[in-house]
Amino acid sequence: MGTISSAFDMISGALNADQSALSIVANNVANANTPGYTAETPNWRQNDPIQINGVQYGDGVTETGATSMRDSVLSARLDQQQQLASASGARLTALDSVQALFTPDSGSSSSTAGDIGNDVTSFFSSFSSLEAQPTNNSLREEVLTSASTLAGDISNAAASLSSQRSALDQEASGVTSQVNSLTSSIAQLNQQIQSTSPNADAGTLEDQRQEDLSQLSQLIGINQVKTENNGLAVTTTSGQLLVSESSSFQLTSGSVNGATHFFVGTTDITSQLSAGGGELGGYLTARDQDIPNALTSLDQLAYGISTSVNQLNNTGSDLTGNTGTAANPLYIFNEPTQVAGSALGMAVTMTDPSQIAAAGAGMGTGDNSNAVAIAALGNESLMGVSNGSTPTGFFSNFVSTLGATVSGVQAENTAQNASVTQLQTQNSALTEVNLNDEAAAMSTLESSYQAASQVFTMLNTLIASALNLGDQTTVA
Amino acid sequence: MRVDPSYTANLVGALDQSQSNEQQLTAELSSGVSITSLSQNPVASGENVLLLNSIQQDDSFTQSSNMVTSQLQVADSTLGSVVSQLTQAVSLATSANNGTMNPSDVKSIGNQISGILDEVQSLANTSYQGQYIFAGGQTSTVPFTTSTATSPAVTTYNGDGDLNYLDTPNGQKIQLNVPGSQIFSGVGTNNVFSALNSLVADYTSGTVNTAQAVSDTQALGTALNFVSQQRVVVDNSITQLSAASDAVTSQQTQLTTAQTNLMQADVATVSTQLSLSETQQTALEDVISQLDSQSNSLFSKLQ
Repeated sequence: MGTISSAFDMISGALNADQSALSIVANNVANANTPGYTAETPNWRQNDPIQINGVQYGDGVTETGATSMRDSVLSARLDQQQQLASASGARLTALDSVQALFTPDSGSSSSTAGDIGNDVTSFFSSFSSLEAQPTNNSLREEVLTSASTLAGDISNAAASLSSQRSALDQEASGVTSQVNSLTSSIAQLNQQIQSTSPNADAGTLEDQRQEDLSQLSQLIGINQVKTENNGLAVTTTSGQLLVSESSSFQLTSGSVNGATHFFVGTTDITSQLSAGGGELGGYLTARDQDIPNALTSLDQLAYGISTSVNQLNNTGSDLTGNTGTAANPLYIFNEPTQVAGSALGMAVTMTDPSQIAAAGAGMGTGDNSNAVAIAALGNESLMGVSNGSTPTGFFSNFVSTLGATVSGVQAENTAQNASVTQLQTQNSALTEVNLNDEAAAMSTLESSYQAASQVFTMLNTLIASALNLGDQTTVA
Repeated sequence: MRVDPSYTANLVGALDQSQSNEQQLTAELSSGVSITSLSQNPVASGENVLLLNSIQQDDSFTQSSNMVTSQLQVADSTLGSVVSQLTQAVSLATSANNGTMNPSDVKSIGNQISGILDEVQSLANTSYQGQYIFAGGQTSTVPFTTSTATSPAVTTYNGDGDLNYLDTPNGQKIQLNVPGSQIFSGVGTNNVFSALNSLVADYTSGTVNTAQAVSDTQALGTALNFVSQQRVVVDNSITQLSAASDAVTSQQTQLTTAQTNLMQADVATVSTQLSLSETQQTALEDVISQLDSQSNSLFSKLQ
């Protein structure tokens, strides 16, 4: 048989439970805007019933603490997608600066400056003009002017690409310290979580660990593996261990062949990081793949034009009837020794326009056959290029390829960001503090607290009248 | 069903997107260019390089063609003068050969033909902008010089047989010069100077060897016809240049139209897109201000 005092126990337990639940709500509302905070929900547990003379009586309620509303699979999925989106985002930023060097010429005269495609055409056109009057000095000057414009624009573009590459290199090496502080923080949190809450969710500690993981996911590509006692191991996407339970492995950087490489211990993991994702992956892809590709194309263009034009000019006969010799070659551009670096080193070495060999070897100075031959190089396949495209065709192909790469990365980035947003919405719906929900919970708890206190008051009155045995005045 | 409480952040993201879209469209309208970076249209960017190349080549050819046309016109009018001088020489020689003239008249004809010889030689040595136009490739060397050491005097060609061509953008080769050797000192009877020199020698003494003089006059007549034929070569070049220039100009117009269509912004389309984007932005702003107002939180309803 239940007693009034057991009812007292039950109702005071309910008041306690309501209070704890209210404090959880208050904590949720207080942390509504805290980054990484996961909304908590009170755990209600019905107390074990008691049996008296074969009859079961309920024994009230206990509030056993808060549970964070977390879905670790969902948040790991979000982290993974975040790594891809950060990688393509960082790569896109780098590629945007690359393509800004090759802004398409709209065709109006004001926009022609600095366009390599136009420079190539102008250079070969200046030889076409020289065909008309091979001895005309101003036309010869024009050849040298357009040659310097071409060489200047190509070497400027190559220099800009190189400096963009070293800027990326610096940004990449700056990521190291952030990664290290995050991995050591994760290792520390692992230790705390394992000691305080080996079997259940560790609440705010896990919130912090999750926040660190999502920050780390912005930087590099990682895999997360749950270990025993609620611990966590973090590896790079290719399996290099970064955090194992309570210890973390530092990422170090060092210069290899002029570029920053990344190490864990003595293992060079640069190429793994490059393919792995995160900002660092994006930087490294742009540094080691996109910019070198662009530079190689410019090198090929510069090498092809310089060597083929030099070769023809050297074998022709200049305005004084001379042909180039080994000691005094008639080179317009400085002669590149190899393809690599040709773009950066492209420059005009000829200063005297009369050295332009418009005439064929042994012909009179009025002959234009060599000028015709050099002008024709503009419509012949570029030297050293296997696909047989003309210099302009080669450049056209280069800008199309670069544009397609940028636009591909752009599309990839947009899709990945959309997917991140979707996952974030899913995750936020679960984990973020919803103020409406909290208001509703507050209102419910308030009512149940009021109800419990009413019951308490009535029980109080009841027990007073029982103690007074009907006399209303002795005990109030 | 649970919802994402931070939906306003997503809306602000959409607002940013629509603003950047508007910025892009405004830039297109103000510059008139629809493709401002390679990634906007990689294929068109590549195509644009090729089109600009062709347009510039056409432009450059038009300029070259103007330059060489004036040179060829000088050659043509020079040869015109040569033909009229030679015609006069033939008629003078014919009148001297009919046997009715006294020696002093014959001598005077000899002098006149000698004058014509000088005139033709100076015409053959015509230069254009400091370059001798009938010297083949040796444009800085006087092409014709006469030595009077022998009788008849001998006029020598110092140039060469070099031909210059101008390549048109469509691959056609147009001949730019006719070497002096081909016009004035062709083989056999086509030699203008040897015919003139012989006639001068025939008439300077005053007594005419009629058979020799008639034969020399005939040779001059043949040489005259040959000069006229060579003049046709020059005229052909002028015609070809003018035709090629016309073709190139119309091609350039077409290419420019194509390039403009490729790169220029279509104002109507861009304006429509801009207006749509503006509407979207206004709508987003309204939604955000509605959702964000205090009355939308349940807490405001709690007493």
